[in-house]
Amino acid sequence: MKMKQVFKDVVCSFCGCLCDNLEIEVENGEIRPLSKACTVSRSRFVNYNRDRVPYPMMKINGKHERVSLEESIKKAAEILRNADRPLIYGLSSTTCETQRKCVEIAEKTGGIIDQTATVCHAPTVVAFQETGEIHATLGEIKNRSDLVIFWGCNPLQAHLNHFVRYSVFPKGMYTEKGRKERYIVAVDVRETRTTKLADMFLKITPGKDFELLSVIRALVNGAKINAEEVAGVSMNKIKELVEKMKNCRYGVIFFGLGLTMSRGKHYNIIATLNLVRDLHKYTRFVVIPMRGHFNVKGAGMVLAWQTGYPYAVDFTRGYPRYNPGEYAAVNLLVNREVDAALIVASDPVATFPSPAAKYLTQIPTIVVDPKISMTSLTADVVIPCALAGIETEGTAYRMDGVPIRLKKLIEPKEGVLPDEEIMEKILKRI
Amino acid sequence: MKKLEAVLITGRTDKQGETLEIGKTSKEYFEHLSTVQMNQQDMSEINVKEGDTVKVETEYGSVAVKCKASREIDRGIIFMPYGPWTSLISPVDTEGISMPSFKGIKAKVYKASGERILTIQEIVEGYE
Amino acid sequence: MKSRMIIKNGYVYDPINKINGEKMDIYIENGKIVEEFTGNSTEIINAEGKTVMPGGVDIHSHIAGKLNSARVFRPEDHRTDPVPKTSVTRSGVGYSLPSTFVTGYRYSAMGYTTVFEPAVTPLEAKHAHEELIDTPMIDKGIFVCVGNNYFVLKYIKEGEYEKLKHFIAWLLKTVKGYSLKVVNPGGQETWKWGKNVNNLDDKVKGYDITPRDIVTNLTKVNEELNFPHTNHVHCNNLGSPGNYEVTLETMKAVEGIKPKKGRKNVLHIAHSQFNSYAGENWGNFSSGAAEIAEYLNKHGHITTCIGQVIFTNTTTITSDGPWQYRLYLLTKNKWAGADTELETSGGIVPYIFKKKNPVNTIQWAIGLELMLLTKEPWKVFIGTDHPNGGPFTFYPLIIAWLMSRKAREEMIQKVHKVVHSRTQLASIDREYSLFEVAVCTRAGTAKALGLSEKGHLGVGADADVAIYNLNPEKLDRGNYNEIIKAFSRAAYTIKDGEVVVKDGEVVKEVYGKTYWTNFQYTEDEELREDLEKVFRDYYTVSLSNFEVPLTYLPNNKPIKIEVK
Repeated sequence: MKMKQVFKDVVCSFCGCLCDNLEIEVENGEIRPLSKACTVSRSRFVNYNRDRVPYPMMKINGKHERVSLEESIKKAAEILRNADRPLIYGLSSTTCETQRKCVEIAEKTGGIIDQTATVCHAPTVVAFQETGEIHATLGEIKNRSDLVIFWGCNPLQAHLNHFVRYSVFPKGMYTEKGRKERYIVAVDVRETRTTKLADMFLKITPGKDFELLSVIRALVNGAKINAEEVAGVSMNKIKELVEKMKNCRYGVIFFGLGLTMSRGKHYNIIATLNLVRDLHKYTRFVVIPMRGHFNVKGAGMVLAWQTGYPYAVDFTRGYPRYNPGEYAAVNLLVNREVDAALIVASDPVATFPSPAAKYLTQIPTIVVDPKISMTSLTADVVIPCALAGIETEGTAYRMDGVPIRLKKLIEPKEGVLPDEEIMEKILKRI
Repeated sequence: MKKLEAVLITGRTDKQGETLEIGKTSKEYFEHLSTVQMNQQDMSEINVKEGDTVKVETEYGSVAVKCKASREIDRGIIFMPYGPWTSLISPVDTEGISMPSFKGIKAKVYKASGERILTIQEIVEGYE
Repeated sequence: MKSRMIIKNGYVYDPINKINGEKMDIYIENGKIVEEFTGNSTEIINAEGKTVMPGGVDIHSHIAGKLNSARVFRPEDHRTDPVPKTSVTRSGVGYSLPSTFVTGYRYSAMGYTTVFEPAVTPLEAKHAHEELIDTPMIDKGIFVCVGNNYFVLKYIKEGEYEKLKHFIAWLLKTVKGYSLKVVNPGGQETWKWGKNVNNLDDKVKGYDITPRDIVTNLTKVNEELNFPHTNHVHCNNLGSPGNYEVTLETMKAVEGIKPKKGRKNVLHIAHSQFNSYAGENWGNFSSGAAEIAEYLNKHGHITTCIGQVIFTNTTTITSDGPWQYRLYLLTKNKWAGADTELETSGGIVPYIFKKKNPVNTIQWAIGLELMLLTKEPWKVFIGTDHPNGGPFTFYPLIIAWLMSRKAREEMIQKVHKVVHSRTQLASIDREYSLFEVAVCTRAGTAKALGLSEKGHLGVGADADVAIYNLNPEKLDRGNYNEIIKAFSRAAYTIKDGEVVVKDGEVVKEVYGKTYWTNFQYTEDEELREDLEKVFRDYYTVSLSNFEVPLTYLPNNKPIKIEVK
C-alpha cells in the first residue's frame, strides 16, 4: 500500500482504557500515531512489525523449523486431540471473536480454559461473587466524581491516558472545572507519579491494606477505634478521608494489583467492595477495578456467557465446572495436571512462577501469537497471527465493560491470518 | 557478605509497556526488565551503586539483576518490573484462588559482581 | 433438509386466524406456511392426537447483555444445573441465568421460537448483540432503554419534541434496536444523586421534568414513528406496597395518545405483577390486581405481561438501580450495581421466593389474578420477567395454573394463609382454554410486537411451529402434570420449516435472525451537532464507535420505516 491513509477514532489495543480517539497515519507499511496516543500506545503502533513471529514453526529435533500453515495447524490439532486434558490459556490480548472459538476448542477437547485474569484480577472476581460490586462506566466518573481514590494502582505508569480521559482532568457534565472539582487520594506502599499528583497520599505498610480498609469501613459505620495509627497511616488522616468519603457527591475507588496481589488478595477486595456498598448510607459511591490487558474484561465476558463462569473453567466432564485454585492455570501447571497447552495471545512462561513455567516448557505446547514471546521460544508449534486492532478488527471490552470495536488499519503479511480463523481451522481438524 | 532483608514488590511500568511493544527479545526490554529498584541508603548498606549486579533471593529462588536507585522507595522495600526475572523468584502457592502473591514477597538482596544476567533465551533454556 | 413438510392431523390452535382446535394439516415450504400442495419429496409429521400451535413468542425475557454480570456474580446458581454437551449441542449451565446456548435450547424445547431481550443500554448494545449471536434456536431482538437517557430528558425539558423524535429514530437505527424500553422513568437519573422518584409527578433531579412527561412524550414519539411495538414501560415504584396506583396513573396518562394506524394499544406495562401492590407497608401488603385488571377490561390501549413469581431461588436483575438497592436493604443478600454514563443504572440481587412468606404468597397470587381477572388474553401475557420472578423454564407450570383450578388449589394449600385474606385467587373459577393459552403465549405477544409473520399459521407466516403431546379431546385438567410435561418438552419444535426439537430434545442447532427497526430519514443537522457535542464532552466513546455495525447481526432482519 503506497498511499497515505489517515484513520480517525482509532482504538488502541494495549491496555484496559481502550482509548478510541486516536488519529493514525498509515503509509508504506508504517504506522504513525498523529495525536492523543500515550507513549506505550505509540510504541505499539510504531513497532507493530518488530519482533514478529516470522512464519509457522514446529520443533523438529529440538529446533524450530519453518513449516507451512497447513502443517502447523494439523500438528496443533493432533496435539490437542491426543491430549487427555489440554489447557487453553491466555485470551486477554485478542478479540472476543477469537475467545469464543477458544472456548469451543476447550469444550471439544474436554480440556480446561483459563485466561490471564487468573494472575491479576482473579481476586476481584472472587470478591465480586462473594459480596457484589457497585460499578460505573468511566463516563460517570468523568461527569460526576468529586472524590477519586486510587488504591494500589498507578495509572500514570500503567494506564497512561486514564487521568486525562476519565478520572482526574476531564471536564464533564457536573465537573465543569475538571481537576479543580476533584479531590484526589492515592494509597500505595511507595511514592509514585500517581501519588505525587494526589491531594492526599496515604503511604501504607506493605501487606496492611485489609487492616486499613477495615478500619475505614468501621469508621464509616460509626465505630470508635482506639489507635493512633493503622497500617502506617495516622488516625487523623484516616478520619479526614472518612469525612471526605461520607460527604462527597459521587465517589469512586479505582484499585489495581496493589490490592489483588498483596497479602489478603480477595479479602482486600471484599473489604473494598463492602466499604463502597456501606457508603451508600451517605452518598453515591462506586468502585472500578483497573484491568490491564486491552480485552481481559472481554475474556471474562465471553467465558461467562458461554459457560456461566468467568475464568478457570474445566470441561473434563463435558460440562463447565468452575473452581479457582483447582482449575486455574498456575495450579494445573504446578501440580502437573494438564498434558498439553494452547497458548493464545499471552506469555505465561514470562509471567508464571518458575515451576509452572518450567512444566509448560515440558509438555506439548502450541502458541498462537503475532509476536515472539518467551512461550513461543519453547513451544512445539508456533503459529503467527494478525495483530488485533492493527491488522484485524474485532470486539474488545474496556475495563468498565463497555464494548468497543477495534479497527483494521493495515493488511497483515500475506498468509498471516487473524487468530479467529486459525482457531476455526484447528477446530475443524480436532 | 552483607545481605539486605527487604520486601519485594513487583509491578508493571510504562517503560515495560513500551519496550514490550518493541519486542520481548529486544535489548530495550531486557535492560528495563532485568532490574531491581532500591532506596539509595539500602544500596549503600550492601555496598552497591547504580548499575551494579545484585542477586535477589527469595524462598523460591534467586536471580541476578541490575540495581537501580530510586528516590520513591522507602528503605526495606525493593521493586522489580513483573516479568521473566521476577517469575524465577515468585511464590507458587495460590491460596486456593489461582493467583500467587506477586507483591510483598520476603527477599534478600546482595552484591553479585561478575554474575551474569540471564537473557530470556537462557531462562527458557534453563526451564527446558 | 427437505424444503417441504406437512404436519398432519393435529388439533390446531391459531387464534389470529380464528382456528380453535380444528383437526387440520399445515403445509410448509421453504420455511414458510403455504397453501396446500401435492407431490413427493415431503417430510410428513404425524400430529395425530397432538396440539399444534404457532411457535411461542416471548415479549419480555432477559437473555443477553447486562445479565452477563449476573452470570459472573452467581456461580452458586450454575452449579445446581450443569448442562453437558451432546453430539448436536454445546454445553453450558442453566437455572436462573442460563448460558447463551442453553437459553436457546431450553426455549426451543418448550416450543418457543422468538424471544425479545427487553433492557439494553445503548452504550452496551454491542454486547447484547454479541450474546445473541451465540444464542441459538430462536429469532430475537432488543429493546433499548431510553427512559433516563440524557438526550431524552434534555429534549423533553427544552420542549424540543421534533428533536426527540429524530434522536429516537437515530438511536434505534444506530444500535440496531427493535423497540423502546422505559425503566423507572427519571428514577435512574435521580438515583445517580442517591435518590429516587416515587410517583408520576415527582421531579427528575436536574431536569425539572416528571416521569409523566417522559412516559407520555416517548409514547407519543413511539406511535408517530410507527414502531412495530408500543412503548414498553417498567413503571416507577416497582416492588413497593401501594404501587398499583402509579401503574394506574401511568396507564391513564397515555389514554389520549393516538395509536399508530392499525392498532388500538399504545403502551405495554412490563411485568405488572411487580407493580400491582396495594397496602401502605409490608405489614398490610395486599393484592391490587383487581384494580389493574378492571382498568384493562375497560380500556383497549394497554397490553401487559405478568412477571409471574415462582417459588424458587432466582436472580433479580433490572435497570432499576434504586429498586435493587432497596431490595438489598430488605434482604441483605449480595448486591451488584452499575451506572452507565448518560443512559441507565441497574443492579442485581439474588432472591428466594418462599411459599410461607406472606409477601411472596401475595406476589404469586397477583400474577395469576392478573391473568384470570383480565377477560381478554390478548391484553395479558405469560412471563416471569425472566429471571426476576423465576426462570422462563417454569412457563409450563404457569400454563398449568391457568388451565387447571386443581393445580392452583393444591398450591394454595401450600402457601401462606394470606392468600385467602389479601387476594381473591382462591375464589376464581376460570380455567384457560388451549385457545387462550395460544393467545397469551404466542398470538397475543406476536401481535403486540407487531410481528406479522409470527404467532400464527396462516399462509405467509414463518414456519415456526410447536407440537405438544396433548390431546384436547382427552384433556384432563385435574391431571395437570400432563399439561406441565407437554409444554415443557415439545413433541416437535419446527423452526423455519425444520424440525429442531423432537421429544423435548434439540436434534438440530440452528441460528435465528435478529429484528431491528431501520428508520429511513433525512438527517437533522441540529441533532448531529448536539450528538457531536455531547459525545465529545460527556461520553467516553467516540460517536463513530458508538454505532453497532451489521457485523453484529449476522442474520439480520430490518423493519424498514419511513420517517416523514
